[in-house]
Amino acid sequence: MAGISFRNVSKRYGNTVAVQNASFDIQPGEFFCFFGPPLSGKSTILKLMLGLETPDEGEVLIDGRPVNHISPGHRNVAMVFQNLALFPHMTAAENVRFPLVERKVPEATIRARVDAVAAKLHIAHLLHKLPAHLSGGERQRVAIARALVRDPVAYLMDDPISALDARLREETRVELKRIQRELGQTLIYVTHDQEEAMSVADRMAILEHGEIRQIGAPVDIYDRPASRYVAQLLGAPMMNIMAAAPSGRPETGEGTILLPAEQMSGNVAGVGIRPEDLKVEPWAEGHAGRPATVYEVEPLGGYTVVTLDTGSQKLRALLRGQPDIRIDSRVALSCNPERVHFFGAAGEALRP
Amino acid sequence: MNRSLPFEIFRYSVITLALAITLIPTLWMASMAFKPIAEWSAAGADLTWWPKNPTLDNFRFIFGTSTSDLIVALDRTAGKPILSSLLSAVFGTLIAMGCGTAAAYGLSRFGSGQNLPLALIQLRLFPPMAVMIPVMIMWAFLGMVDSWWGLALIYGIVTLPFAFWLMKTFFDDMPREIEDAALVEGCSRGRVFLKITLPMMRPALASSALFVFILNWSDYLIALLLTTREWVTIPVYMASLSSSMTGQLYGAKAALGLIAAVPPVIMGIAIQRHLVRGLTFGALKQ
Repeated sequence: MAGISFRNVSKRYGNTVAVQNASFDIQPGEFFCFFGPPLSGKSTILKLMLGLETPDEGEVLIDGRPVNHISPGHRNVAMVFQNLALFPHMTAAENVRFPLVERKVPEATIRARVDAVAAKLHIAHLLHKLPAHLSGGERQRVAIARALVRDPVAYLMDDPISALDARLREETRVELKRIQRELGQTLIYVTHDQEEAMSVADRMAILEHGEIRQIGAPVDIYDRPASRYVAQLLGAPMMNIMAAAPSGRPETGEGTILLPAEQMSGNVAGVGIRPEDLKVEPWAEGHAGRPATVYEVEPLGGYTVVTLDTGSQKLRALLRGQPDIRIDSRVALSCNPERVHFFGAAGEALRP
Repeated sequence: MNRSLPFEIFRYSVITLALAITLIPTLWMASMAFKPIAEWSAAGADLTWWPKNPTLDNFRFIFGTSTSDLIVALDRTAGKPILSSLLSAVFGTLIAMGCGTAAAYGLSRFGSGQNLPLALIQLRLFPPMAVMIPVMIMWAFLGMVDSWWGLALIYGIVTLPFAFWLMKTFFDDMPREIEDAALVEGCSRGRVFLKITLPMMRPALASSALFVFILNWSDYLIALLLTTREWVTIPVYMASLSSSMTGQLYGAKAALGLIAAVPPVIMGIAIQRHLVRGLTFGALKQ
């Protein structure tokens, strides 16, 4: 069990910046998640940790020791690749054994370890098969078993369950979280799925264009995003952002304003409200809320997504259950002022 | 799909025509190999599809155990040319595949730019005759004319670009993560190549080797220029199967042609299993 740290690490491919000045400390035993859109540098960060890439600048530390010049095989880090990278000419058993055989572990130990990990991942009955004869989910578990079979200082996983169907993904994600807790091992996980990132991670780092935008516990980031970009990346449906007028007041269109004016400071460029914080009430004369028309309703069973047209823009609200809201009816919007986010002109979060 | 009858008739006619164009000459050769002289020579007036009096005389003739009715004595039998062809083609293929695979792997994984790979294919852009005369002089200087190893060496050089390009395409298509996974699990680069890459490349190696072997096996020009007597190959020997009395010895040529077709066919069948199987099937998601 070990922590992994980056100190001002940069990596470029030609003119493309893959990782820019990244610094972070992953604690031993932590479930740490890198989250960002495709090509935001997540996979490169893992390759730098593995030693498959060497940083152009900065230092990678494992367990406090610089490892920039240590080869992948000597870093003792295990990896599950995004495309799994099973060895197609070996059976599942040979794949799982491979890391131990390469490290010249005694045969009796190998057998015991393979059996244990196969039992944990429910793949004992598949061990004699070639990867070509396994289903997607089974290959996934074999790949994870190959990583779990030895005793590395940390496990790295690059979007390992993205190819599974939604139901299996939810199951595997719970399973992974549980395995990680039981092992008490450092697990570094990369995903492009915000729900997955939020559900598994103890802490997470949000990436954009190779730069780390925010690091913290998922719920903290969700509640206190550092920027408009981070705010809109987390949460589904996405956070509503309304433009603020030059005066610093939210764009009102016609009708009453949504927020108490005293909250607004001069340099606010955007006002953000999460869909679940938006209150939707039937329109009544004298209501203090902002008027809007119901544009579309998406009943999802447990909750309902309502798209609202305020005249100047569309907002989305997430309501519990199945409220009685008719399309084209007029409603009043309001929200708890404490749940409102303010963003400056550069997208930076402003807090009182 | 519901196709009309005239279209079906048209479709099968085209297929039959295409098959006929490729198969009939081959069948004709096979049939001729078993015909006695009266049935294949110009003297024999009646042309038939199947030999009326099947005989192995043509085979006996080229292996020198019988002069049949030809009253022609060959100055050498087919045994040595077949050996020469086998040795030069097999070792030429080994040279091309060995060097080509190593070069392709190196350039695919660690090379940058396109200039070097393209330079390799330039060897094939010269008209062969322009290259072969200087090669002939060099080989004469090195004392390698009329030897199977001299032939094998030039075969290896000439087919190297094909081996290289075929293998490079296969290496380029192989997902890097599979090698990365082995590196992370403690393999050295060399070990990754031997334990992971080469075994995965078996189908690619087999199909490339077959392609290179057929090129070498069917060469005429190089062997004509670089062999004189001792180590002439099957194609060169075949050209010499004629006499002033009877003209072209078609029966003997057909018999030799039939023998020459055997090694590529055997190789093809032997590696068919590898050819049809996908390269990395099952290694990745999906």
